[in-house]
Amino acid sequence: MKVTLAMKPTARSFIPIEAESIVPKNFLAGTDLVVWRGNRELRLDEVFTVTVEGHADRSENVEVVLSGDDTFRLKRVGEYMEAGKITVLGNIGMHCGNFMTGGEIEVRGNADGWLGREMGGGTIICRGDAADYCASGYRGGRKGMTGGTVEVFGRAGDFVAEHIAGGTVIIHGSAGDMPGAEMHGGTLTVHGDCSRPAANMKGGSCYVFGTAQGMLPTFRKIGTVQHEGRTLIRFVGDVANRGKGNLFVRDYVYLD
Amino acid sequence: MIVKDAVCPFCGCLCDDIEVEVDGDRVVAVTNACELGTKKFMGEKRLKNPILRDGDAWKDITYDEAARYAAGMLLSAERPLLYGWSGTHGEAQCVGVHMAELVRGVIDNTSSVCHGPSILAIQEVGHPGCTLGVVKNRADLVIYWGSNPIDAHPRHLSRYTRYAEGFFLDNAFRDRKVIVVDVRKTETANIADEFVQIKPGGDYAVLSALRAIVRGKTETIPRTVAGVTREQLVRVANLCKGAKFGAVYFGLGLTMTRGKYKNIRNAIELVSELSRHTKFTISAMRGHYNVYGSNEVNTWMTGYPFGIDFSRGIAFYNPGETTAVDILARKECDAALIVGSDPAAHFPRKCLEHLAEIPVVQLDPYPNATTAFCNVQIPVAVTGIDAVGTAYRMDGVPIRTRQVLSSGYPSDREVLLKMYTLMQEGKGQ
Repeated sequence: MKVTLAMKPTARSFIPIEAESIVPKNFLAGTDLVVWRGNRELRLDEVFTVTVEGHADRSENVEVVLSGDDTFRLKRVGEYMEAGKITVLGNIGMHCGNFMTGGEIEVRGNADGWLGREMGGGTIICRGDAADYCASGYRGGRKGMTGGTVEVFGRAGDFVAEHIAGGTVIIHGSAGDMPGAEMHGGTLTVHGDCSRPAANMKGGSCYVFGTAQGMLPTFRKIGTVQHEGRTLIRFVGDVANRGKGNLFVRDYVYLD
Repeated sequence: MIVKDAVCPFCGCLCDDIEVEVDGDRVVAVTNACELGTKKFMGEKRLKNPILRDGDAWKDITYDEAARYAAGMLLSAERPLLYGWSGTHGEAQCVGVHMAELVRGVIDNTSSVCHGPSILAIQEVGHPGCTLGVVKNRADLVIYWGSNPIDAHPRHLSRYTRYAEGFFLDNAFRDRKVIVVDVRKTETANIADEFVQIKPGGDYAVLSALRAIVRGKTETIPRTVAGVTREQLVRVANLCKGAKFGAVYFGLGLTMTRGKYKNIRNAIELVSELSRHTKFTISAMRGHYNVYGSNEVNTWMTGYPFGIDFSRGIAFYNPGETTAVDILARKECDAALIVGSDPAAHFPRKCLEHLAEIPVVQLDPYPNATTAFCNVQIPVAVTGIDAVGTAYRMDGVPIRTRQVLSSGYPSDREVLLKMYTLMQEGKGQ
């Protein structure tokens, strides 16, 4: 079954729309769903032109396609998603794929903050850039992402994979400040440059194939290693907190 | 008439030993207060009555008309923002939270642009703090990190640290050491025993390095960290470990620079590490006299200290999304009520561009930069001068402010209650 949601342009164009009802499972029972614009409850068809093709009796067989110029206003799409597929043709707003445990989300444009927050499983692919807190945890939480995969083909903002405890995050472009902060498990790979990677890490592995700017002084240098055809420098840390994480960088610069 | 033991409603020190001489409805002299407090007590030209924007001019309106305008604006909004709250008393803040819940808006206070990051860090690793009195009487080492009390909290040094007597210190001035950490040599650095000058943006690295040194991992640390030599870091770590009681006070130099809440988290974790060797505490140098109170009131009423979004009927909190600067910059609100703060003087230009496009009502005794963005401004009494109310000192101690004169202006609480009642009627409650 393919559900196409074409977003209608509206006048009050910047009030965010919270659309946690947009998960494949919900469309098995029809399209009688609600979303929220600010404090107003709206029917799905007030915001989208809804088209359903085919039939499905399992979430795995449902694909939701979101289109329109304003999809960047949609928050919480795919929250608690367990199976099926969501494709966003343009940009998506904050909290896409929160708490997701299975299925796949593909964002063809850019994703706003908290993409795949506290994700437990499944796959998120972002073809454009991801904003801050991609694959991170929630405020004050000890565990962020625990499983699954997030792959960003563009750049990522600050605090990528903060508090990550499991799963895999791959950023093909550069990342901002403090990727993998408080990391205690899982794997984070940044193909480009970033600054202050793996701050206060306790466990897990962080790879930086570019230059680590403002490298923190509390990582113990071990030596060079070969990884996927690259020569990387291996550090262990963060010694500030008895951490036993592994940080691999191609190159680093201290703020000295 | 002389009013003794008045409470100064300027900064988070909330000094409660002020003497104010009043002549009729005017303050004529202030004793004991610092320059900042004195200026606040002496007052300046206040707005006489509520004003409504009428084309390019202002029209005088009554308090009832102003309250009706505000209630109507908030009721019709899809995502109203209720911002400010640090420059008013706790009782008014309570009404504000009720209003936000009723209209399903977002309520945020000024801590989202000052010590919000401190709270985020506290939510991650806790707060080993204490009251100012404990520091005054016990601390033999005080660290000011990214704060400059001589300019911002002038009496902090004389009442609680450098120049204060301490019950458990024989000669407080001689026994108490002061370390100042900053990116430039401030006035406070001039009176410090040790000044650590950090390159801008290097606080996190220096804190990490200190933690490692305190843990005995000095050999990992490079020769210099953000412009600070390893020798100085070792000296500072030894001063801290050798102290009987240490207290760290940090300001916006730590919360609002690169890394923000991670800096504070690192500082708190350094304090925890030091507490394995001696007694150490850490506290924030809060700015507005009742910004701590706005966090307290919000927390006891909603569970969260600032940036609370009620649009779905329940409290949702996510600084970076539900905080005033982010909402305005992303144009995510369609009306704003500003109470006891001046966002137009402090927010980025992008935020003000949106503030200029939406209806804005402000409660403030004085015309300020935000007045230029208002549709309605309502003058109110000043807490601690012509209104009473509860405020929280920077260490979390609630202090009842005193009224030193009568002016006839209604208090924030009275005006807000009037609006809230109208809003309840509008909602059919």
